[in-house]
Amino acid sequence: MSFLQPLLLFGLPLALLPVIIHLIHLLRRRQVKWAAMMWLMAAQRMNKGLSRLRQYLILTFRVLAIAAIIFVICRPLAGGLLGLTGGAPDSVIILLDRSASMEQRLVTTGVSKRSAGLQNLAAAIKDAYGTRSKLVLIDSATLQPVPLEKADSLPDLPQAGPTDTSTDVPALLQGALDYITANQTGRTDVWLLSDLRQSDWNAAGGRWQALRGAFTTLPGVRFQVLAYPETQSTDMGIVVEKAVRRETADKAELLLDIRLQRGEPVAEPLAVPIRVVVNGASSTFSSELKGSQALLQAQSIPIDKTTKRGWGRVELPADSSPGDNVFHFVFDELPPLKSAIVSDRGEVSGPLLAALTAQADLSRKYEAAVLPAARLAEIAWDETGLIVWQAPLPDKESAVAKQLDAHVRAGRSLIFLPPDTPDASAFAGVRWTTWQNAPPDKPVLAEWWRSDAGLLAATRAGPALPVGEVEAQRWCGVEGEFVPLARLGDSAGKAPLLLQTARDGSGSAHFLTTLPGPGSSSLARDGVVLFALLHRALTDGASALGNAQQRVTGAKSLGEDAAAWTRLDVEDPASVLPIDRPLRAGVLKKAAAAPGKPDILAALNRPPGEDAPPVLGKPSLDELFAGLDWRLLERTLENEKSLTSEVWRTFLWCMAVALILEALLCMPGRRQAEAKKAEAMKEVAA
Amino acid sequence: MKSSHTFLDSKVLSRLLALPLNARQAMTGNVSGRHRSPIRGSSIEFSQYRKYVPGDDTRRLDWRTWGRTDRFYIKEFEADTNLRLALIVDASGSMAFGPAGATRLDYCRKLAGTLGYLAAQQGDAVGLWGVGKDHRQKLPAKRGAAHLKLMLDQLAELKAKGETTILESLHDAADRISQRALVVVASDFFTEPAKLKHALQHLRFRRHDIALFHVLDSVELEFNFDRPARFVDMEGGETLLADPSLIARRYREVVKKYMAEFDEVIRTTGADYHRVLLKDPYEDVLAKFLLARLQSKGRR
Repeated sequence: MSFLQPLLLFGLPLALLPVIIHLIHLLRRRQVKWAAMMWLMAAQRMNKGLSRLRQYLILTFRVLAIAAIIFVICRPLAGGLLGLTGGAPDSVIILLDRSASMEQRLVTTGVSKRSAGLQNLAAAIKDAYGTRSKLVLIDSATLQPVPLEKADSLPDLPQAGPTDTSTDVPALLQGALDYITANQTGRTDVWLLSDLRQSDWNAAGGRWQALRGAFTTLPGVRFQVLAYPETQSTDMGIVVEKAVRRETADKAELLLDIRLQRGEPVAEPLAVPIRVVVNGASSTFSSELKGSQALLQAQSIPIDKTTKRGWGRVELPADSSPGDNVFHFVFDELPPLKSAIVSDRGEVSGPLLAALTAQADLSRKYEAAVLPAARLAEIAWDETGLIVWQAPLPDKESAVAKQLDAHVRAGRSLIFLPPDTPDASAFAGVRWTTWQNAPPDKPVLAEWWRSDAGLLAATRAGPALPVGEVEAQRWCGVEGEFVPLARLGDSAGKAPLLLQTARDGSGSAHFLTTLPGPGSSSLARDGVVLFALLHRALTDGASALGNAQQRVTGAKSLGEDAAAWTRLDVEDPASVLPIDRPLRAGVLKKAAAAPGKPDILAALNRPPGEDAPPVLGKPSLDELFAGLDWRLLERTLENEKSLTSEVWRTFLWCMAVALILEALLCMPGRRQAEAKKAEAMKEVAA
Repeated sequence: MKSSHTFLDSKVLSRLLALPLNARQAMTGNVSGRHRSPIRGSSIEFSQYRKYVPGDDTRRLDWRTWGRTDRFYIKEFEADTNLRLALIVDASGSMAFGPAGATRLDYCRKLAGTLGYLAAQQGDAVGLWGVGKDHRQKLPAKRGAAHLKLMLDQLAELKAKGETTILESLHDAADRISQRALVVVASDFFTEPAKLKHALQHLRFRRHDIALFHVLDSVELEFNFDRPARFVDMEGGETLLADPSLIARRYREVVKKYMAEFDEVIRTTGADYHRVLLKDPYEDVLAKFLLARLQSKGRR
């Protein structure tokens, strides 16, 4: 319990006044010399329990009434189920989910979840803790702790503004843990403001267990999760999956693959107006949505033949989630899809080269180079979208390792294939161990793979890739922290077939644990899985190439020098602070590194996970915070009730109830009243 | 009377002298009196015939009966004797209840003093037993004006204090009063009815005529207090904090139960019981007492 006038609590001993007065009355009570003591004592004995109880109850109610008055004038604050009890902690760490989904707003007021949560939180902290606690903000976009002077400033901080990023909640908690450990914050309240999106919380991730263990060892850390899990099932989102300029002899056009999605399927076909803006010029067309999704493939937007490159966006009518109503895109003459195969073995590089040079998209040009490990210097790092590495892993401190790391961090693709003789070197914490062989003539089939995402995801039309038909005669073991994307069967001990290194920021590498050639697997023979895998990796990696790039918002989405980029889609580019540029969706331009070369265009959009509405439930949160002192405070945008509220009325009621009960207990019994009445009548008659 | 005997009112005495003090049963006195005796005597009131046995006084032979029946019969007459009145007055601390000058002891003093005077005036012997730890008055019943004065003096000297010893005093009286007597007890009887029953039965066993004056105040019966008070025991000094609003009902229940038990004791022992309130005129109480006895004059 907190109070706006806590000093007045020193008056609480006044509540004992009735007891003191009672004791004084006991001492001052008039004396009556009494002869019939025998009868009086017998009556007292008969009445002892009830009489005492009644007396104690009367005293208790009087004490309660006075205590309630004192509480009323102290102006108590209640946090509902907040648990704002126990006084102010030494430190308050605010973990802010600034993901795009937090910008879901109430249409009538325009207040977003983030804004409402911040206002609520600031008021609650101000009321409950005042200036007695040290305040620190850690936001999901920067993960940098920012000390706050006072809670009032919280909603106005640049670090608390809206973004179009996703949130990594475990990383937020890790940030809080690092801060608490480094600064010895003492008794700490950690407030986490979030909309509980599953994609942000990554409840299946491996970091939660370590976080729980670490927080359990810290005494006095309490978690308050202020959640706005409400989703709008009628909200629609739009995504441009592909934007390609095509030119024929008589016209030029922009072909857009647009995906529409809605939280809840529509009962009847719904006409959806879509506004397209290309280089500032807008046009609108209507699309029909059936069910919960619609895919508009190769939607043609006519453009001028002289327009070789440019930018644009597609927009949906406004709804409660403005973040997913807009999707930005850029287009340019497509660069060739270059890949490099590092291998000394022809039987390995052959199938790879064949797959990577086969034209999956006739409008693109495919180039692949096979390089032995000794000629790594010939790799065109800035133009290569995919590197397939079938050689010993480079030493961590070597220049090659750093180049590969930079390649991955730039969003390009890297696939490691096992070398003939694995060594102890590792990349991103993963290393090869030893080769394993299946029994002769009994190859191991792949049994499990992720078909919902990743390189082995099902095709856009729906059918899954035939990964289950992939046979492996031998495979190489791996060690380290990774995310498996496919596993072999039981006879191989469920060894991973394809895996992805754990993400720490942007980019990740893949490890394929077998080789495509004969004697190792059927990947080359069957071809489909290998082809899809390689081309998906190449397409992903190449998206970060060229002068028109589709990127996902994030702290590192514009590289280290965000100030070098300028917003193109706003009237006053300077109005967008450099700190916000990598975090907000939009189109940006960066001057060419060398004279004569075109500027680089980048379209930043929200991560795909932000369009996924599922949220975590209380049971899942219970598991995530198991063993920790935590509370969940669910709010909705319609609920404007403050986290803390003055509850003096409650105490006023308590006082009234106590006084009424006291009065009832003090009232004479019915017989006694009748006797007195009869006596009075007698006196009148006399 | 001496001026210190203020508890005697000459007007009341003169009015009550018209009513004799009778015993409800035959008394055994030392001298001739107006009360019936269980022993045959020489009064003029014929009692019965009985066969002559050697040793009988031949002067009391009824010759006429001898002449008719040729048998010797002795003619017996009633014997009248005097009354022994034992006045037992409670002088424990609780007897000081009441306003100064009109306490329970003052009231009992009036009752006992007047009765003693009336008895002495009709030639009966009067004795006094003071009840209380600090009282040792055991004045045996005697006749005569001098003895009456001594009794009244001792009655006047009684002071209400200490714990009651009414039960011990009644047993003591039963043991010490050897001849039949009228035992009049004036007390508040704040003791257990069951124990009182034993004491009264002891007296009855010794063939005494028992009369009880149970002197109470209406305040004690009704307990009409309006606010909490510290009640101090008049006998032991013990204190008790009580809120009348909480216990008055229970108190009245206790009183009612006590009275019911007391009535049962009286019914069992056959005592002549008079419940008296301090506000009742003692003259009326005594007149009622004497009149009732007039109708039930002692049997042999």
